[in-house]
Parts: sequence; structure tokens; C-alpha cells
Amino acid sequence: MQIQSSAPPTPPTSPLNWVQKNLFSTWYNSILTLVCLAVIVWGLSSFISWVVSTAQWEIVGANLRLFFVGRFPHELYWRVWTALGLILSLAGICWGYIVRKSPLFSRTILFGLGALIAAILLLPIELSARLWILAIAIISIVGYAAGRKLPPNISPWLTAAWGLVFIVNLWLIGGGLGLTSVPTNVWSGLLLTLLTAICGIVLSFPFGVVRAFSILYIEVVRGLPLIGILFLAQVMLPLFLPPYLRNLDRVLRAIAGLVLFSAAYLAENIRGGLQAIPRGQFEAAKALGLSPPLVVLLIVLPQALKAVIPAIVGQFIGLLKDTSLLSLFGLLELTGISRSILAQPQFLGRYAEVYLFIGLLYWLFCYGMSTASRYLERKLNVS
Amino acid sequence: MTNDNSQPMIIAENVHKWYSSNKFYVLRGVSLTVNRGEVVVVMGPSGSGKSTFIRTFNALEDYQQGRIEIDGIALTHDLRNIDAIRKEVGMVFQQFNLFPHLTVLQNVTLSPIWVRRWKRQKAEEVAMQLLERVGILEQAQKYPGQLSGGQQQRVAIARALAMQPKIMLFDEPTSALDPEMVREVLDVMKSLARSGMTMVVVTHEVGFAREVADRIVLMDSGMLVEQASPQEFFQNPKEERTRKFLSQIL
Repeated sequence: MQIQSSAPPTPPTSPLNWVQKNLFSTWYNSILTLVCLAVIVWGLSSFISWVVSTAQWEIVGANLRLFFVGRFPHELYWRVWTALGLILSLAGICWGYIVRKSPLFSRTILFGLGALIAAILLLPIELSARLWILAIAIISIVGYAAGRKLPPNISPWLTAAWGLVFIVNLWLIGGGLGLTSVPTNVWSGLLLTLLTAICGIVLSFPFGVVRAFSILYIEVVRGLPLIGILFLAQVMLPLFLPPYLRNLDRVLRAIAGLVLFSAAYLAENIRGGLQAIPRGQFEAAKALGLSPPLVVLLIVLPQALKAVIPAIVGQFIGLLKDTSLLSLFGLLELTGISRSILAQPQFLGRYAEVYLFIGLLYWLFCYGMSTASRYLERKLNVS
Repeated sequence: MTNDNSQPMIIAENVHKWYSSNKFYVLRGVSLTVNRGEVVVVMGPSGSGKSTFIRTFNALEDYQQGRIEIDGIALTHDLRNIDAIRKEVGMVFQQFNLFPHLTVLQNVTLSPIWVRRWKRQKAEEVAMQLLERVGILEQAQKYPGQLSGGQQQRVAIARALAMQPKIMLFDEPTSALDPEMVREVLDVMKSLARSGMTMVVVTHEVGFAREVADRIVLMDSGMLVEQASPQEFFQNPKEERTRKFLSQIL
């Protein structure tokens, strides 16, 4: 007997069917759907009407500079722009390099271009800022195009380039070595938020990997709240340091606190990843004659880190938002600068607008990180 | 290190292994000598200590008493000796144990580059030759997860051969494979045996043992019961335990 192959019957999937099946399948589901719909419509409409008519967004527009770079000297803005340009052009190169096999124009790119044009046209910023944004955008796109042309085995160089950009950017922002130095007490706004978060992330990594083997440290730090550790770093750290380091500035002390805290959690995450590696991997590596340090470096850590990417990114998202606690120590990062903006006499009481705006900024960066991490997971899942 | 061809490649004398925590004996005085170019197949019921025994040859398992010498190097706790021996001894595992985060080619070139300190180019040339020899040249850029079990095991053999070992240990290399993939792995092992490699193979593959082995060894409860040529082992075993074992597997 011959068996005829035929396509499986396709169930009808019009939107109306979907609605009927999922939202109005029984009488109580119908009631729930209607109630939820009413709540959502009411909430959304009152929010939108507030955003459009009641809210006064001048406070945000007038203080954009403060939100982003705070009290950073105006004549040195070019250094911040250059730093941003370096980051975005390298990001463009890396992105082009990673997606070199997929088509040139994806939805993401078109969306990004649209957002960019909107930003240049709509934001109430000075002409020079518009020009900077335009220039950086062009360089990034050129970088993206160049990245697609790169040979396939240069990822170690790209990693090294990120390290270099990190150091150069610290120099651009902090000055010294031929540039006018900018004292840390004028580092503020989103600039300071990102700086402390990125330093915290980057520096906690080597610590976290080493600490993965130190239970005592992990248990002590995990038993303390972050705010306590930040106090410790601000108030007590100078007491323990040798005299020539007593005047370690506040930003560095804050970063030290963040690193101390996040390294412990990172260590615990990585320890989890280490335990997920089968014994056979160690045995195979040993049987091939690899020495113990090489086994860890070449076989164990790459797999352990890959296994804990979601946990690590989650932690870094937490760290970025935790930098808002630094405002309690008088550091004018995004939250701190917002509080001082709210003290401007002409904008008294405009809390909602300001906090909504900085909430949006925090969200943008967190969402960016989690998107990147999901992409990375998919990419690494091949192996 | 000697290269005297008359000297045996592996000498194991009266090897004992036990776990002191629960007085559990794994090996009770096993002695075995393997000559250069010889293929020895180790058989025995599960739990007889056969895997543990061959894993002492490259110090994946330690032993409490006795003496092991690999190509003239005494296997002691001296880490330099262990390093030297691991360079000479390749091992293939039941579960392949390929490194999942590296491509096939990177799996094979890893230890020549990091342990033998070869130039990448040389390591890759050698690796490509080996991959061709085991018949998976076209998969070199794939990751282990994209290959079938049989292909993975052949990569594992190429990876072990890349260190140019003098001895190859096989720890039940076909036990985790689907039946239709067993043959492709055994074929590679056969051609390796014909090329004159010294091999110690733990396996249940009777056909392979019959065809390739110079000598078959039966282990049971941590002891070596009988060793004989394949013909004698299958046709005319001396020990009662061997007869019982054969009656169960044949």
C-alpha cells in the first residue's frame, strides 16, 4: 500500500479566531477580558493625556545638557563627543563584523537611522551638537560598512580595541597627559552614571573570576546591603589606605564600592557556571597534556562564562541602576543631577516629568544590554 | 627516556587502587606488559576495573601501590613525569569529550599549539591531514554539536593523534554510539592499528577484538583473569570465568 503524504490540516488563524479562542472562550474569560481592557484603556488614556497636555517638558528640554554631562565644562564638550564617537564607531565596526553574513539593510538598521534623524531634528540642542551627532553617525555607518569587509579571525583584535578605547576615553574625560584635566567633582549626569557602571562592570570581572574561589569573601559581601558597602567605601576605605592614598577621590571610592559588591555576585554566578562543566572536559584536557592553568583558561572559563551570560548581564543591568544610590553620597550622577535640577526655582515640583525622563534613559540602556545579551546567546549557541 | 625497541611500551606491575574512605578496592594487583606496536584489547564485565586500569596509564586515575612505566618513564607523583607521559599517550573517551566551544579544527590544533608549541600554520596542516585520515576533512569548520556521534568520535581520535602520541588508549570508544555509527569508528581504529600504533582498547566489540587484537585480556573484580591471543581466547579459554563471560556476550 502506498502512503500518500499530505500537509497537516492547518487550523484557521484569523485574528478574529485568535481573539475568540484566547480572550472570549468562556463567559468568565469574557468578563475578565472586558475588565482588563477597561483598566488598560483608562490607564493609558489618562497617562497619554497627562504626557501631552498637563506635563511641562520644558524642564527636560532646558536641562538636557545637565542630564547628559552635568557640570562638565562647555568648552571641553568636544572630548565627550570624541569619546562617544570612538565608542560608536568601534561598535559599528564590531556590529558589521558580527553580522557580515546577513544582508546589508535589516529592520534594525533602518529603525536606527530613523531614530537618529528624529534625534537630530527634534531635540532642542545647539547646532554644534547636531553636527556632532551627524558626524558620529556617519563614522559609525562607515565603520559598519568597513566591519563587514574584515577578515574572519580578528575578534581578539577587536577585544583589544575595546580595551584601548576604554583607556583612551578615561583619558579624554579625565584629562591629564597634555589635556586640561577635569576634576572628578564636575563629572556628572548620565556621563557619570555610565562611567561608574562601566568601570564597575569591567573591573569586577577580573576580581569576580579570581574570587570565584574564595567563599569567605563572597559570604561576607553578600551579607551586606549595597548601600552599606558604599558607605564603607566612602567613609572607611580612606582609613585603611596608606597616607598617600587617603585623598582618593569620591568617584574612585564609589567605583571601588561597586566593584567590591558586584565582584562577589559575579563570583557566585561564575561558580555556578564552573559546576555546570562535565568532568569529561577536565579529563580530556588533562589527557591532552594541558597544564592546570591552561585547562582553566582555554577549556573551563570560556564554557563557564558562556553558560552564565544571562545571569551576568542581569547583574550588570542591576549594577547600572544601582549607581543611582551614589546620589546619596552627593555624587551628581543621573539621579543626583535630577535632584539638583528639581531644585531650580522655575521648575519646582516637576518631579513626574524628570523621573519619567531619567527612567526612560535607564530603561534604554538596560534594554540595550539585554538585547545584546540575547543576541550573544543566540550567536554562541551554535557551539 | 629510552628508545630501545626491545623494551616494552607499557609496564604495569602489581597495580593496586583503593578508596580508603570506604575500603573499596578497584584494582587488586594487576600486571600487564604491552610491547611496541602491540594492540591489546581489555574486556570484562562492567565494574571490573578495566577503564580505571587504563586510565592509570596517563594519570587520570592514581594508584596506591605497584609500579607503572610508560616508554621508560616511571609514572610517579612527579608532575614533570606526568606531563611527559601525557604528551606520549593519547586517549579517546566513551563520551567523546570534545570541547563544545571550539570548532573541529580548533579542537585538534589546541594542544599541539599550547603544549607542543607548534606554529599555528604547522598545527593546522597536521590537523587537516589527520582529519582527512579519519574522513571528516569537510567538517573542519563546524562545531562538535553539529556532528553525529560517529563523526565526533573520529574527531576525538584525530585530536588525540595530533599530539603524535606513541600510545593510544581507547576507553569504550563505541559504547555511546548508535549501532550504525560503530563501524566508521572501528574502521579508523583498525587502520590505526595496521599503521603500527601501540593501542590499549577497552571495548565490548568482539569482532574488533578478534580481527585486530594481538592479545586479549579479561578483567574481573579488579583482577586480571586471563590473557591470550584472540584465537585462544575465543576458542579455547583456560579459565572458567572467561568461559562464563564469553557465554554471556557471544
